[in-house]
Amino acid sequence: MIASILPSISPGTLLAGGITAAAASLWLLLPSGRSGAADRTARWLGWLLGIVALASFLATGHRLGSVGEEAVFLTVALVAVISGAATVVSRSPVYAAIWFAMALAGVSGVLLVLGGQFLGVATIVVYAGAILVMFLFVLMLAQPAGLAPYDRVSTEPLLAAVAGAVLLGILSLSIGRLTAEPPACCLMGGTKAALLADSATTEPPAAAATGIDMLADNHVARLGGELFGRHLLAVEVAGVLLLAALIGSIAIVSRGAADAEPAAARRAVP
Amino acid sequence: MNLLANTVAPSALVIDGLVVGAILFALGLVGILARRNLIVMFLCAELMLQGISVSLVSWSRHHGDWGGHVLVIFVLTVAACEAAVALVFVLQAFARTGRLDSAAWQSLRESNLPRTIDRELPAIDTVPPKFPKLAPAGVEPAADEDALHEREHV
Repeated sequence: MIASILPSISPGTLLAGGITAAAASLWLLLPSGRSGAADRTARWLGWLLGIVALASFLATGHRLGSVGEEAVFLTVALVAVISGAATVVSRSPVYAAIWFAMALAGVSGVLLVLGGQFLGVATIVVYAGAILVMFLFVLMLAQPAGLAPYDRVSTEPLLAAVAGAVLLGILSLSIGRLTAEPPACCLMGGTKAALLADSATTEPPAAAATGIDMLADNHVARLGGELFGRHLLAVEVAGVLLLAALIGSIAIVSRGAADAEPAAARRAVP
Repeated sequence: MNLLANTVAPSALVIDGLVVGAILFALGLVGILARRNLIVMFLCAELMLQGISVSLVSWSRHHGDWGGHVLVIFVLTVAACEAAVALVFVLQAFARTGRLDSAAWQSLRESNLPRTIDRELPAIDTVPPKFPKLAPAGVEPAADEDALHEREHV
């Protein structure tokens, strides 16, 4: 753990520094209308700060039970977070969509590690297979050649990055308070190890409290039983919602096509 | 904090899942606030939904019940509906303005907000992309006159 190598820096400071570095990195990476060497410098600096932010997040992180589990979780989580950042900062919307597909792969890996076997696969099938392809179709229909001017600038990148940092800070604080008091983020040395060793063993009782073991056999069958048993009415409502969305989008397209023609004709006159 | 006094502290895996969810949500928020392309804004909204899904599954793991999983399935359903309707709106907006720019609709803003004015952007230093060149391989066979006539009898 880096935190034990640098005992003078408390994990709380490390986390705050990491969040600040992440915000600065996003601010530098977001499209700003710069060009040429200044743009390249800002991007290099941005990725560098992003790596610093990720390293400090990792340094404040917890240890999972086994090395293998930790390696898998770290890999998929890093894929998800880095691809998510690339989605946000990509100039070209097509690249943003491709990076989003990569982020989906990472998220589905995280869901698999967390025990959501069906959801991990469903995320890939529904999102990457259907929703993302729909996005790409619309991009092909509507994207002008080359980079549009509005893809090269952003609205208030600094304020947006600060807002994201504040949100992430608040969320980290509340997540840190979930662990036993005092917060695990501020524990050092033996206490932290003891707490983590304790928390590694607390999961079986937590799951056993309600009598459901998420990782037992027949995961999908039991999830289906829950979905079509307790939540049958909600499933029906979701089906109606899908039908309404289908009819609604068709109606908007056919109505809008008639309305848009006079507008296009007006635009073409001057 | 005393709300959790009688419950078991979440395991390290649950905490890590919650952190990943929080990071994804914050990234999506930054994207929605900063980007101007309508489609990229929707991608960022989907990124926020992914963060929520990760958090829900983490809590499901913690509590050992199916609530989070079922909620994520409904999130998927609603996201599909949202994407369909939203993309239709985006297409209509593109048909009317010829741009995927959210600032093209700034006449809908509050009356006390300043107008977004695009400054002149410096030209992109265009480096022509280098595509790989394939060595020509094979020879196109000469058209067979007989085959053309034989085809009619098949």
